[in-house]
Amino acid sequence: MILNAIAIASIFCGLFFMVVGAIGLLRLPDFYTRAHASGKCDTLGEGLMLLGFILYEGATLVSVKLLILIIFIFVSSPTAVHALVNEAYARGVRPWQKGEERR
Amino acid sequence: MAFPGFHRSSAVLRMAATFVILLAFWLILSGYLDLFHVCAGIICCTIVAFISSDLLFRPDRPVRASVGSFVRFLLYVPRLMASILVANLDVAYRILHPRMPVDPGIVTFETGFSDGVARTAFANAMTLTPGTITVDVNGNRYVVHALMKERSERELLVEREMEQAFTGIFREGR
Repeated sequence: MILNAIAIASIFCGLFFMVVGAIGLLRLPDFYTRAHASGKCDTLGEGLMLLGFILYEGATLVSVKLLILIIFIFVSSPTAVHALVNEAYARGVRPWQKGEERR
Repeated sequence: MAFPGFHRSSAVLRMAATFVILLAFWLILSGYLDLFHVCAGIICCTIVAFISSDLLFRPDRPVRASVGSFVRFLLYVPRLMASILVANLDVAYRILHPRMPVDPGIVTFETGFSDGVARTAFANAMTLTPGTITVDVNGNRYVVHALMKERSERELLVEREMEQAFTGIFREGR
């Protein structure tokens, strides 16, 4: 019962960060700052949701698989964001600076 | 080749360790413990361990050093998670704030890492934590995009807290 409550709280925290990531994707001014929103918030959001699923599931094989999934996401997600940002930088996308108009 | 036996035994040790890790991973993913599936797993893991054991444990470092780095990294993970949470709350605050108090910019700085694994781990951790994204890594030179330029400059050029943590984990750098 308490474990379920913690699980649901964790899932909702994850949901909060996913929503914030989506809002950031819409609100922030340029490509690089949007990468901040999607890179950080999505990683933690997915991690927290999967953590909630693990707590809900209990000690089974599925939980171990979900744990492996969390580790994979925490390695792959920043790498993917880095690949995108690196390519944009190499092609000369200029970072937005304070005071400029948003793109 | 003063100690021919030393290199061979460490290669066997690397293969054996790779095999054990791969087999554990296989058993977790398959979930079947009957004869056919376990045998298939043993055969596959043997082949993969034989071909690519030098990917998991690097041949130019002793196995104990690799395992030590890994264990120290695991001990660092709770602190990393805490700082990821703080960094995310900070980004969430800036996104949801009506006036969006962001002052982004590019920060360039140098580190003392010589090893590829240490560089990669540091770059990934930096993308996740203190309001920065790793844009480019050129040798020891890191180019990062910071959400709050001045704060990140202070953290990365003056305080260097995270760099020191990773220096301790991988036992290299300055």
